[in-house]
Amino acid sequence: MTTTAPPVTPVRRRVAVAGVRHAAGRVLAVLARSAAVFAPVFLVATFVTFALRSLSGLSPARVQLGEEATPEAIERVEAQWGLDRPFLTQYGDWFTSVLHGDLGTSWVNGADISTLIGLGLGVSLSVATFALIIGVFAGFLLGTVAALRRTTVIDRTITGFVTVISVMPAFVVGIVLVSVLAVGLGLFPSAGYVPAEQGAGAWLAHITLPALALSFDVVADVARQLRSSLVGAYQENYVTGAVVRGLSPRRIFFTHVLRNALGPTLATLGQKFPALVGASVVTEWIFGLQGFGRFANDSAQAGDVPAVQGVLVVSIALVVSFNLVVNLVLAHVTPASRRGV
Amino acid sequence: MSPLSPDTLTPRPERPRPERARPETARPTDDGGSPEAAPVLALHDVRVTDRAGDREIVHGVTFTLTPGKAVGIVGESGSGKTLTCRAVLGILPPHFEVSGGRVDLMGEDTATKTPRQWTDLRGSTIGAVFQDPASYLNPAITVGAQIAEVLRVKRGLSRRAARRRAVELLAAVRLRDPGRVHGQYVHELSGGMLQRVLIAAAVAVEPRALIADEATTALDVTVQAEILDLLADLRERTGLALVVVSHDLAVVAHLCDEVLVMRRGEVVEQGETRSVLHHPRHPYTRLLVAEHEQYGLDRFRHPSGGVMTTPAVKAAREAEPGAVLEVTGLDVHHGRGRARRRVLRDVTLGIAPGEIVGLIGETGSGKSTLARAVLGLVPPSAGSIRVAGEDVGAYGPRQWRALRRRGVIQYVFQDPLRSLDPDLTIEDSLVEPLLIQGVRRKEAAPRVRSFLDRVRLTPDLLERLPAELSGGQRQRVAVARALVTGPRLVVLDEPVSALDSANRVQVLEILKELRASGVALLLISHDLGSVAGTADRVAVLHRGELVETGAARDIVNHPVHPYTRLLLGSAPTLRGRPAGRAEREALRALPAD
Amino acid sequence: MVRRVLALTSGRIAVVILAVIALLALLGPWLAPQDPLATGDHALAAYSAGHWMGTDHLGRDVLSRLLDGSRVSVLGSLEVALVALVAGAVPGILSVHLGRVFEWLTLRIADTLVALPFLLFAIAVIALLGNGITQAMLVTGTLVSPLFYRVSRAATLAVARSAYVEAAIVSGASIGWIVRRHVWAKVLPPIAVALAQTVGVGFVIVSSLTFLGIGVQPPEPTWGGLLASDLGYLGHRPWAPVAPALLIMITVWACNLLADAIRDVSGEAGRAPANDRKARAHRREAAGPHPAGGSR
Repeated sequence: MTTTAPPVTPVRRRVAVAGVRHAAGRVLAVLARSAAVFAPVFLVATFVTFALRSLSGLSPARVQLGEEATPEAIERVEAQWGLDRPFLTQYGDWFTSVLHGDLGTSWVNGADISTLIGLGLGVSLSVATFALIIGVFAGFLLGTVAALRRTTVIDRTITGFVTVISVMPAFVVGIVLVSVLAVGLGLFPSAGYVPAEQGAGAWLAHITLPALALSFDVVADVARQLRSSLVGAYQENYVTGAVVRGLSPRRIFFTHVLRNALGPTLATLGQKFPALVGASVVTEWIFGLQGFGRFANDSAQAGDVPAVQGVLVVSIALVVSFNLVVNLVLAHVTPASRRGV
Repeated sequence: MSPLSPDTLTPRPERPRPERARPETARPTDDGGSPEAAPVLALHDVRVTDRAGDREIVHGVTFTLTPGKAVGIVGESGSGKTLTCRAVLGILPPHFEVSGGRVDLMGEDTATKTPRQWTDLRGSTIGAVFQDPASYLNPAITVGAQIAEVLRVKRGLSRRAARRRAVELLAAVRLRDPGRVHGQYVHELSGGMLQRVLIAAAVAVEPRALIADEATTALDVTVQAEILDLLADLRERTGLALVVVSHDLAVVAHLCDEVLVMRRGEVVEQGETRSVLHHPRHPYTRLLVAEHEQYGLDRFRHPSGGVMTTPAVKAAREAEPGAVLEVTGLDVHHGRGRARRRVLRDVTLGIAPGEIVGLIGETGSGKSTLARAVLGLVPPSAGSIRVAGEDVGAYGPRQWRALRRRGVIQYVFQDPLRSLDPDLTIEDSLVEPLLIQGVRRKEAAPRVRSFLDRVRLTPDLLERLPAELSGGQRQRVAVARALVTGPRLVVLDEPVSALDSANRVQVLEILKELRASGVALLLISHDLGSVAGTADRVAVLHRGELVETGAARDIVNHPVHPYTRLLLGSAPTLRGRPAGRAEREALRALPAD
Repeated sequence: MVRRVLALTSGRIAVVILAVIALLALLGPWLAPQDPLATGDHALAAYSAGHWMGTDHLGRDVLSRLLDGSRVSVLGSLEVALVALVAGAVPGILSVHLGRVFEWLTLRIADTLVALPFLLFAIAVIALLGNGITQAMLVTGTLVSPLFYRVSRAATLAVARSAYVEAAIVSGASIGWIVRRHVWAKVLPPIAVALAQTVGVGFVIVSSLTFLGIGVQPPEPTWGGLLASDLGYLGHRPWAPVAPALLIMITVWACNLLADAIRDVSGEAGRAPANDRKARAHRREAAGPHPAGGSR
């Protein structure tokens, strides 16, 4: 007895300390790696974005003065906007102010773009977050049930349903929802937005349909990926190992199978986000929401270059930060080796 | 002091579950199983049927296992030994079922058990460990947490107590620095360490019986010796009953009291280990024992052992004197910058025509690197390599390609399935080296056919895909592919380690016959028996250095270097007793020179 | 591979649907019973002999507009897929062979492109660079090319690290030989899968853009545009959006079906069933007992 008892305590403490250090180090490592990946991403993407104006040949003078402006007037306006300076200088200035949160002013009405986008972002983020919640929740439910009941009628039904909703573009879903639930049955308002401060019920009622329309794609992808990862994980030897150790099926599912299937599913979710941002343009158009996507569409149609650039910068920032969150969760779920780092 | 101190694994008297009371004899007494002890596990004419094909696969297995006893099951792959184990554990694959006989665990018929009762039985009454331990542990959770999980679920221990006990268990399976291992993941540990972890998890709640299904297969021989020791220790100290499944007779001979020899689902011979293996009665058992004596180490304990040089081989050597391969003072480094480390140090080795040189070494000894350096796949950092008289050490990619296109050197890989393109037919794979040389397909095809006979393959295999061949057939195809260009030197990297006994013997016999054609073979293996039974000379590689080279018989019978002695002492044999733990530790501690 | 895909029921269905859609795109203008742009007096007319699917709010024949409108979507989605194929697969395969600098560079670019919301970018590009679907699809194709990059790179890597390629190298094979003999057959199926998927994605993108009225001049009929205008008089003709919506969905579904079919018949998993059959046949000939399950 006395031979093993004394060394136990220090051993345990060492384990605990190592564990904490391990976790903290892992979070830092993930952050560092993500930064290493995303810094060049951000630089290149903003550069491309900024180069759009030069490529387009658009000018604030045309927007403000119309087609019959004299060359002198155009030059004056362009100088006013600083467009006569070298390209790289312009990019440098623009990038610096972007980093400070200043996206410039609109060519059309001279309003501050950051403010305009900020106004729309609340709407869009409410819808997108709600869509993600629906997508993750329903996707996990469908994927899990299909995997646990694989090769049964339930599995085939779910797989069929998922296939159907995966081929429905957001605007088709949106139209169906509007015509059936809003126009036909009158269960939801067909258009518009009410901020949460004016009543959570009204807010939810207004964002439910657009969120549903956006979520179909997420539901389909999450359910499909989760099902195949779960089925794959169940075929692994470590499941046999856990069975032989006498663990219950429930425990095996949660601590062994689900944990390993989560990684690919989260990665799918991360890749889905840019599509979600893009699809918001369409859904906001259908549901008459004055959100980020609508602003993007309007600015692009009006040829308001700084506004479009601002929209792109913000969307890239959104995608990048969402992926950062996904990576952090991934790092928590799976040890480093399995992400191929 | 043994870390396996009595308090770590035998708290039997104060077991928290009195309802599953042990018979008196179950205590870790001086001799674990007296004849009157109640059996832990009893199989009576157990049959397993594949419902999908409605075929009976296992045709009646009967044995009784009392506490502290060990039963061994030997047989080639497909003999039904693993299915029998799975039937005992209640984990048969979906469409298989126990179609006859009964399995009694602790005197109770398992056929009546509900899934929930099975869950309770597994782990606490019967446990199991398998080959390829890495795949049987969850890669996303630390290994310690997986042991603690069992303790928490089965024993109801608190998180903290479970962790402490898990670390104790890791110490009990003789892992160095158990506290550290507890917090590590599967990918951070070696195969031997993982097998210990798996054993620790399997015995965490002290089951009465443990099934070890090929648990030491594919491990290095010194690691295997330690795992076998550990199992023997557990059996002796805690009265754990063992079912040892292996294709290696020596492992079973070393551990078991009783042995079952299985073939095609049938038990062809069964009895006390010594009498079955020393005086086999069934022809199949005799064949297994004979194969083992040819390609095992037992024979070398007798004066007649060793490889004979036939007149044909002698003639081939004299027709073309001089070395085919000359490696002198070879150094190889891996990695760059600070990660740069020396993998091979001052290796000197030669092979004559018609000679087989066996290269023995454990995982990480650098034996594959030596093969790859000889083949020009890894650049040497010092020393010279001469192949067929050409100094290839300084060859650039172009010169290497020119040399290779002449088909002077060929290579046979460990894994025959992966070394053949799954999309190409066997014929396509076989003619490829000739086509690369610029031979027309029309001429290449008949040349390939003439080689089939030498590797004992029939022409009807030519149009099949690799997936449709057995492992032994694939490896013989790989050997044939290496021979079609008429090479002077063939490097074989673990050519038989993925094969079972019959196929192993067949491939090794083919290799021995090749010597008469004057080809030089470098045979790399971690399996001492196959190398000793095949090679003319043996070279022992240890941590990148050749520690001993000499005639196979001399090395096996009179090893000089402590490492060679450790290797040979670790290998279990049919008749002799391998070196004990203390003896091995002493050899390990000896200075290199 | 084509034969194996057609051997599957799902593969046949997918190919037939896609062929019909492609025919519509090619022959739509000639098949259309009336001029899709000609306005008539009977706005929002119901089904009749002259107008099988009725007329829209300007009295134009809906069927004709549907048939004619397939062209923009089909051409656009093909363009997306082909651009993505070239921009993704070529660097993907080369990244394994051309050294670390090229590998690092292409990996970073792929990371960047993935982070860009392609629909937003497509809208921005059309609006700023000119109101044409062609440029937008060029950009969209580039933005979705990382899929091809990843897929082809993974397949090439797997082959390059395989023992059979090493065996060929030891036999003196050149890079060209290895690519022709070994790499090609392994890389092609995953690329074909990605291509089918991308055509589907491209279809959704083009439809989304035309739905928003971006990329086409108003009178020209498109499926997305038809949907958008149908939305305006949902109260009068609630079933109007069904036809274009269904057409879009069926096309996308057929693309996914084709992708799944290709995946099923290629690779290790795909060959298994066919081989089982063949292997069983061989075994029957051999008439000997064979290993079943057993230890590994």
